[in-house]
Amino acid sequence: MAVKKISVLGMFADENAAASAVKGLKNTDWSIDRVHGPIPSHKILDALGMKKSRVGWFTLGGGITGFFTGFLLAAFTATRWSLIVGGKPVVALVPFFIVGFEFTILFAVFGNIIGLITQMKLPDYTEVSPYNIRFTGDRFGILTHCDAGRKAELINLLRAKGAEVEVVEGNDDKC
Amino acid sequence: MELTYEKIDNTVLATLKPPEKGYWVLVSLLLAGVLMGASCWLYQILTGIGVAGQNNPVAWGTYLINFVFWVGIAHSGTLISAILHLFRAGWRNPIARAAETMTVFAVCTAGLYPFIHLGRVWMVYYMLPVPNQRLLWPNFQSPLMFDVVAISTYLTVSSLFWYTGMLPDLAIIRDRTTGIRHKIFKIISLGWTGRFEHWRHYTRGYLFFAALATPLVISVHSVVSWDFALGVVPGWHTTIFAPYFVAGAIHSGLAMVLTLMIPLRAIFHYEEIITIKVLESVAKTIIFTGLIVGFAYGTEVFIAWYSHNAVEIETFRWRAFGDYSLEYWIMVVCNTVIPLLLLFKRIRTHIKWLFAISIFVNIGMWYERFVIIVGSVGHDFIPHAWGLYTPTIVEFGIMIGSFCLFFFLFVLFVKHLPSVSMTEMKESLH
Repeated sequence: MAVKKISVLGMFADENAAASAVKGLKNTDWSIDRVHGPIPSHKILDALGMKKSRVGWFTLGGGITGFFTGFLLAAFTATRWSLIVGGKPVVALVPFFIVGFEFTILFAVFGNIIGLITQMKLPDYTEVSPYNIRFTGDRFGILTHCDAGRKAELINLLRAKGAEVEVVEGNDDKC
Repeated sequence: MELTYEKIDNTVLATLKPPEKGYWVLVSLLLAGVLMGASCWLYQILTGIGVAGQNNPVAWGTYLINFVFWVGIAHSGTLISAILHLFRAGWRNPIARAAETMTVFAVCTAGLYPFIHLGRVWMVYYMLPVPNQRLLWPNFQSPLMFDVVAISTYLTVSSLFWYTGMLPDLAIIRDRTTGIRHKIFKIISLGWTGRFEHWRHYTRGYLFFAALATPLVISVHSVVSWDFALGVVPGWHTTIFAPYFVAGAIHSGLAMVLTLMIPLRAIFHYEEIITIKVLESVAKTIIFTGLIVGFAYGTEVFIAWYSHNAVEIETFRWRAFGDYSLEYWIMVVCNTVIPLLLLFKRIRTHIKWLFAISIFVNIGMWYERFVIIVGSVGHDFIPHAWGLYTPTIVEFGIMIGSFCLFFFLFVLFVKHLPSVSMTEMKESLH
């Protein structure tokens, strides 16, 4: 027979307490499902041991594509008639570099946006449950799973770290 | 009482409560101004560009003056949101959102002027890299084409940066509203829930935005300056123009930040968020940019004298003592002398003084563009081609309309979206 699992939501008013709880949970066999917060706390990010985001690669790819797009667009249009303008070569490096530069920024930002959308998997309108609106306001939230039999142990750990605790799955009782 | 996360949310969310009658009166007045400006533009389109006062030798009048003015206003928004973010200057957090918004709306307003100045606005596609019926392509060696690319990039990047920065705040509003507002904010917040899996990517992406916006903002006003500097016209053809324009742009933009923030702070009771210390920091930066601008004014005159070039010398003599000398001295006094008052702590910590000085700098920076644009082409190489320029009532109408458009958009923004970044304010508490 499968062991009954429950989810426990710990809510912290303090960033340091939340980071400490994350570290504490990392040292146990309980799994952290999600961590929410109103600010991008680096302490919590470090405690979670998350890898560096790969958004930058999209940005870099966009920037490189942009430079060549801008420069080659200017060069292509100039070579359609190959007229000497202002005594400069048909494919004039300095002015076309400026076009290339602006396109670099533009496409790098497009790459950045694509990176954010694909990495964060947003937009995502499916209801997140359990969720507390205070996670965007003034509380850090940690959602953990444990076997029903070890519920009290998990709750005690979270409370010891300063959390308001709520059992949200398998048992509707407020703990 | 000390600021807390809850207090920040409550203060900012209180600004989004249904507005009073006075707000709608203001919105209506500004809308009337926008419609008046649009009517003047329509009249110009139907009648011809001749209804504006631009003619030989001054072919670039208020349309270009206002274009440069509004692009300049935009710049300090990016300085505050991007450059100061990279420098981790905590005082920018309370004003970053409003300054970024100012950037977006100022670029929108600026972007209208090339269309207005075209006269035959339906020919606008000539500026785009598509072959028209004569199989001609735009000339990318022209600084005007650099401008098309730079300004459209700036508008796109600023808008995306603004929206991305607002995402966590939109979720805060979504979580505290009901009905149709909840539905709207649910859509535009894209399902943000503050998960650290999201924050991990978001902080990285936001950093790259700031890192990209920083060189962009410097390049944009440099490109705008090259519209002039690459022309062989006395007073324009100088290498100092790019840094001079960038410093001037930030100078004017910071003044506009004060012009907008001071009433915003009083109306929305932001005193604990936008503290006098924040306004003082803006004032100190204005002293710095004012000194750079003053140095640039002095350098221009010095180089004209030092060059022994008769035309350059005559141009700068005429600027200071000729037909537009009043405009020249308004520029010098408002941009370099009056900001020096901010050296006194009593003045830079006094709201009324700050507001008054910001208005003077705004006026001075508008006149700077007037002096540069009209003062050079009106009095260049050949004495018999010299001439004066006076804006017509159509130009005044369009100019007033553009100011109304900017304030109309800003006034709509402050009651419908968070004018202070709640998330960044919370971050600054740590």
